[in-house]
Amino acid sequence: MLDALFELFFKYRPLIFEQGDFAFRAPWTGGLAVAAAVAAGVLTWRSYAQVRGNSRPLDRVVLAVVRLAAFAMLAFCLMRPVLVLSSVVPQQNFLGVLIDDSRSMRIADRDETPRLQFVQDQLATPEGDLRAALNERFALRFFSFSSETDRLDVVDELGFDGTRTHLGQALARAHDELSDVPLSGLVVVTDGADNAGGELEEALLPIQAAGVPIFSVGLGRESYERDIELGRVETPRRVLRGSALVTDVVVTHRGYAGRPVTIQVEDEGRIVGSENVTLLRDGELQTVRLRFTAGEAGPRLFTFRVSPQQGEMVTQNNVRETLIAVDDRRDKVLYFEGEPRFEVKFLRRAVEDDENLQVAILQRTAENKFMRFNVDGPDDLAGGFPRTRAELFQYRGLILGSIEANYFTPDQLRMISDFVNHRGGGLLMLGSRRSFAEGGYAGTPVADVLPVVVGEPRGDGEDGFFVEVAVETTRAGATHASTQIADTEELSVARWRELPPITIVNPVTEVKPGATTLLTAADSDLVVLAFQRYGAGKSMAFPVQDSWTWQMHADIAVDDMTHETYWRRLLRWLIDGVPDQVVTELPQDRVQPGEPATILASVGDANFEELNNSVVLASVTHPNGEFTDLPMEWTAQRDGEYRATFTPSTEGFYEVRVEALADDELLGEDVTYLQVAPSDAEFHDSTLRASLLERLAEETGGRFYTAETASSLADEIQYVGGGVTVVEEHDLWDMPILLLLLASLVLGEWSFRRFRGLA
Amino acid sequence: MRQHRRFSRARLAAAAASALVLALLAATAGISGAADVLPGNVAYDGRFTFVRLRYDMNWGLRSGLFRRDIKWAHDYPRAEQNFGRIVEEISSLDIHLAPNGGNVLPLDDPELTRFPVAYMAEPGFWQPTDEEIEGLRNYLLKGGFVIFDDFTGWHWENFTAQMARALPGIRPIQLDISHPIFHSFFDIETLEMAPMYGPPPTFWGLFEDNDPAGRMYGIANYENDIGEYWEYSDTGWYAVDVTNEAYKFGVNYVMHALTH
Repeated sequence: MLDALFELFFKYRPLIFEQGDFAFRAPWTGGLAVAAAVAAGVLTWRSYAQVRGNSRPLDRVVLAVVRLAAFAMLAFCLMRPVLVLSSVVPQQNFLGVLIDDSRSMRIADRDETPRLQFVQDQLATPEGDLRAALNERFALRFFSFSSETDRLDVVDELGFDGTRTHLGQALARAHDELSDVPLSGLVVVTDGADNAGGELEEALLPIQAAGVPIFSVGLGRESYERDIELGRVETPRRVLRGSALVTDVVVTHRGYAGRPVTIQVEDEGRIVGSENVTLLRDGELQTVRLRFTAGEAGPRLFTFRVSPQQGEMVTQNNVRETLIAVDDRRDKVLYFEGEPRFEVKFLRRAVEDDENLQVAILQRTAENKFMRFNVDGPDDLAGGFPRTRAELFQYRGLILGSIEANYFTPDQLRMISDFVNHRGGGLLMLGSRRSFAEGGYAGTPVADVLPVVVGEPRGDGEDGFFVEVAVETTRAGATHASTQIADTEELSVARWRELPPITIVNPVTEVKPGATTLLTAADSDLVVLAFQRYGAGKSMAFPVQDSWTWQMHADIAVDDMTHETYWRRLLRWLIDGVPDQVVTELPQDRVQPGEPATILASVGDANFEELNNSVVLASVTHPNGEFTDLPMEWTAQRDGEYRATFTPSTEGFYEVRVEALADDELLGEDVTYLQVAPSDAEFHDSTLRASLLERLAEETGGRFYTAETASSLADEIQYVGGGVTVVEEHDLWDMPILLLLLASLVLGEWSFRRFRGLA
Repeated sequence: MRQHRRFSRARLAAAAASALVLALLAATAGISGAADVLPGNVAYDGRFTFVRLRYDMNWGLRSGLFRRDIKWAHDYPRAEQNFGRIVEEISSLDIHLAPNGGNVLPLDDPELTRFPVAYMAEPGFWQPTDEEIEGLRNYLLKGGFVIFDDFTGWHWENFTAQMARALPGIRPIQLDISHPIFHSFFDIETLEMAPMYGPPPTFWGLFEDNDPAGRMYGIANYENDIGEYWEYSDTGWYAVDVTNEAYKFGVNYVMHALTH
């Protein structure tokens, strides 16, 4: 609108003025014109200065100035002002037209018209207005882009079913293909969502260097009126079967503030968890915590879903999928208990039905006399607590019960520290008269690992410290996976408050910086449960001597499972993510057919020292049962890291099994899964990215258009674009604004005279 | 004043005579435990505490002169006092050595759940109330363990009948030497013990789902009285060997209960 008004008065669009250089093209010299103007001015001034009658001096000054201005304008026009600018030579230049072929172009977010309609109307056929206008001036080369970029011979072949938008890749490809011809620019017709990540900046550099302007046409809306979107979903990539997961889902919406909705999580179509929430204000990020159990082993595709609401503009972004490798194996935890006490019996009983936890118990019953339970064989732990790292590091978790620090040799204390710090295991210390400060751990390497400050013993009287406390959760503990003892957060917090009091003989009140307290005493500052990440692993402190009270107490029902639930979740969390000697990792656990997938493996020996000279082989099982063996090479970037790449061709789950050998001996193997499927990223964050497209245009000297302003694209590329150009001069003397101004001056003089009675 | 002194002497003489009679009665009845009059229990502090189960008896089942025999208190308190000292000496168990060797609690006392191992003497005379039966059921199902000791002959019927009230369908299973409970601390080589009541002693387990491989709710020393051996272990009344064996059984029972 403004541009049209501007053009009405100034004859040309603003772009011409922006691009052009101002010059005069009068046949006479500039000095002659100035002299004539000065002479006319002097004559005018003199004639007004000599006039008398009933005019006042001020009247004469006004009239003289107006007359002089009119003369100046005439002089300006006689100087023949022009705009000099370069213009591409018609049909001598090429123009790359890149059209977004991704699924997000189907979104009907403007007057219920899909974004692709613009392409079909304007570009799909030679009759389209924009295409016709471009075609008059340029040799057009069309490209479609989504996951891949392809040359297009027939534009109406577009299917708009691409599952990703690789904008950077598309620009690079088009620029490369047209680098040998005179190129006026690249036109990009897209909604602007570049969900391929990371490659746009790189692609822009050669385009900027070559001086090729990008003209971006943004389709769609920058925000939806009514939409709910499930954003980030963070889940572990690998868990033990039966693990309880607490997952945060980020929800955003527009137009549904205050509306109650239900977010569900499905395991292969079966609903395994749900949470009811009331949506907050428009645009506000809302984190919803979902609890569910990974009940089935193997590659499990968990789907998070919020039901489509009435009037929602995009419903595809109501769903998020995440692949979790659910391991069905028995993870080993060593529980070393220094005295016969009921914590052993009840902890053992709590986890004995957990098929995925093997809690090996080393129970000291007298000096140098041990009982062993759940061990792997007659020799396992026969010599007492492990004396080598290899022996200790076979466990993923270590529980230290009522065992004094003096029992261990200095090397064993360092081993326990290394177990957490280097091996990445989980350490848990229980409360007793022989643990924490009371067990003499102050100043030991184990104290360094623990999440609580271990000082000197603080006994009250000769019997030592003893207090009975009720337990409550902290804010972190209310939502932490290890302390979920009921189906919902509220029930869990309430259940903790209901539990009968337990007793503490270790007055632990201070946690280390970086540690998190999950449970505290209800009426004091005593720490009941805390954890911290330490090195590659994590440690927990549970200075309670009789958690079995939560099983035996008279107030606890016979069939109550709180004690069992607590210990299972706590131990599972303790060993969650603890690595093996061989660990397989997929930087992207979901790729599209034809997209390369990278496999990384970390390999270490029994002491978890990285090995760079292992023989590492990845065996990939395709969905159809075929195998592909891939030798993996040391990356030389990180010790113990190996890499291989393969390109899956069909959709489905691929099993990736990695084996590592050293000196012909198997170090270990690890299995993970790759999902090959079309990406679901297109409908997330799918609003028009106008800012990105504006930046593209600005950084390359092009311009940004919308569907409404794109009609001027062809004219403007003519002056902005590069390639073979000619210099054009556009006269300015006949601009309507000048005639209007001249007429205004004459009319103004006449009106002034009339007003002053001088006419 | 003098008269008063004479009167007092008469009363003292009477009291002494009465005490003598009572002592004789008690000895006849085998009570170490008329001693339910001894002072109370120690508070729970997290340590292992020996608990003896107290129960009421059907009056008709009482025995002994004047029916003053308190069956649950047989061998109390010296049995647990001696046992506690032995356990403390030979193992790393942190035991609370209460003045009376431990606590005495009825089955329906909520406090019992703080002590997951309990000892019952003379279950043949045990006549629990419904509340006590419920208390026992909950105690065992939650994880408690009971040692039944000191019973013979027809006492068995009462024991099994009362257990069936607590755990319908429960069936005592005779144990052999291969059961882990006989190897939990001491490696006991034989279950053959000198007869206490005539027939050879036998050992019976009460198991979850009547599965000998499952969790053991309790153990019964039938035709046996290991508490008696504990009680008199410092008197020379019984042979050292058999007394040692009795201790071994007791220690193993406790160690097993603490870990299984």
